[in-house]
Amino acid sequence: MEKSIESIWKEGFLKKDALVAPKLNNLYNQKSKHIIDKFQRMYQINRIAIAAFALIVLPVSFISKLPYLGVLMFIAFAIIIAVSGRFMKKLKAINTGDTSYQYLNSFNEFIKDLLSVNEKLSRFLYPYIFIAIILGFWFGDIGGNIPGKEFVSKLIVDYPDMQLVLGLPLIGIFGATFIIFILALFGGIIGTWDINLVYSGVIKKLEELIGDMEELRN
Amino acid sequence: MSRDFYTSSILPYAAIIIKICRAYTNTQEDFEDYYQEVCLQIWKSRDNFREQSKWSTWVYRLSLNVCLTLLKKKKNSHQQFASDSLIQEEIEEGHQFVDESLNQLYDAIKQLSEIDRGVILLYLEEKSYQEIADIIDTNPNNIAVRIKRIKERLKKLLYGKVN
Repeated sequence: MEKSIESIWKEGFLKKDALVAPKLNNLYNQKSKHIIDKFQRMYQINRIAIAAFALIVLPVSFISKLPYLGVLMFIAFAIIIAVSGRFMKKLKAINTGDTSYQYLNSFNEFIKDLLSVNEKLSRFLYPYIFIAIILGFWFGDIGGNIPGKEFVSKLIVDYPDMQLVLGLPLIGIFGATFIIFILALFGGIIGTWDINLVYSGVIKKLEELIGDMEELRN
Repeated sequence: MSRDFYTSSILPYAAIIIKICRAYTNTQEDFEDYYQEVCLQIWKSRDNFREQSKWSTWVYRLSLNVCLTLLKKKKNSHQQFASDSLIQEEIEEGHQFVDESLNQLYDAIKQLSEIDRGVILLYLEEKSYQEIADIIDTNPNNIAVRIKRIKERLKKLLYGKVN
């Protein structure tokens, strides 16, 4: 005989163990793993992209007859990859056996460390990249001529009274020094902004989770 | 979440939360995740409860919304990463009740649309059409028609299989 769905429902839940509530002892466990896995994936993709770019830049710079630019940029990317490799090891070393709260706090410490190192590195890297671009083009080879020398020659013709130091226009040295100074001063901020641009979603989620968990613990 | 809050405000409604979470999950692990998430969301959103409805109605609505959101997220991630065989594996590992008829009913309920699952669960919990309408955010007439249609579908799924 066909039973009504109402009676199947009622009788089924009368049986012992039909309604056992799971224990709430490991809240946020899955979420914590998801957020760190997501960050790890993004970070790895970012590293691969930088490595790929470094490998492309080098031969392209030689083909374009701007070898100094290529070599200097390659060195910059190699530094970034080496530093990020160290952080990747640290990220993998975060103990997943800890409680969710400890796990997320360890990850938070990792992010703080990453932001701090990135800030310091950016103060050096942004001016370095600027110098690499200037030197790269200055000592490049465009149409068989050295662009830096060509540029100075044209300037001397247009501005014969211009002051030169070691064959370079003084005003140019001042301008470049000023830009390098500004980049060194604000490089940290630019670097942090750059990291936030890519990982702000994960960082915000992490802060929310830790906030929730702290409230849960109180 | 304090033990008091869980005991006084969630545990009395744990049965419906469990029933709803079971209807939207296929594995024990997912079920526990959904259950925990519902409890967390109740606790986190408790200040948003305006007493315009009963606490139970609010808990049901929130449970359904959380399950639907998690299901949507899961579907998206499956679309991105999982193969069909993985989904099949999950279904095979699914939780089983002691009562075989209840298992069959749950299997049939899982074949309904996501909203219809919520409607029939509330109906089976003997909620009035008005309450269900409040939770689903529609009118009672719509719910009455919908329930009639869902029951016919379930009967067809249950006894069509047997026959």
